Amino acid sequence: MKPNHLQALLVFALVISVAFAFLTKHKPGERLRYALWAFAAFLLVAVVLGWLMYPLSR
Amino acid sequence: MAENPKQPVSRHPALAAVVALGGWLVPGLGHLLLRQWGRAGVYFFAVGALAFTGLALRGNIFSAASRDAFDILGFLADLGAGVFYFAAKFSAYGDPDVSRAAGDYGTRFFATAGVLNLLCALEAVAIARGKKL
Repeated sequence: MKPNHLQALLVFALVISVAFAFLTKHKPGERLRYALWAFAAFLLVAVVLGWLMYPLSR
Repeated sequence: MAENPKQPVSRHPALAAVVALGGWLVPGLGHLLLRQWGRAGVYFFAVGALAFTGLALRGNIFSAASRDAFDILGFLADLGAGVFYFAAKFSAYGDPDVSRAAGDYGTRFFATAGVLNLLCALEAVAIARGKKL
């Protein structure tokens, strides 16, 4: 199954957020907070950059 | 996760070499040898998910025969994925197609899997040497 761009973005954001949370934090609570924060930041930056570049694609 | 971060398992010098090799070859194996079950599972599934998504997006897997500097860097990054690199290289799954954006994304996904695995293997080595909990 070939994922679409949004699915690929979600997989990337989720996987990297969780992996970096485990690499940089030790306590479960800290890991959860870091993973959620990084995941949200990935999505936010992707959506904002996507809209900023949208006029260039037309 | 049932880990005890206050007690490193071992600091034997030879263990670090075994952990480095194992951690590179099979993502998470280095942590598994150090009995860090949670990290081992997370890193294995993280690297695997990135590698399989990269293949599903029909990304390019670089080979050692490349002569271009960027291709060689791509090969080194891909090689970092260990067993996933060899499985991808020598299986017929995911014929590359970088004529579309998705294929280009797939190439980056697989390279990210390799670099992430190298990072995880380095962390395992640091734990084995007693420099990280």
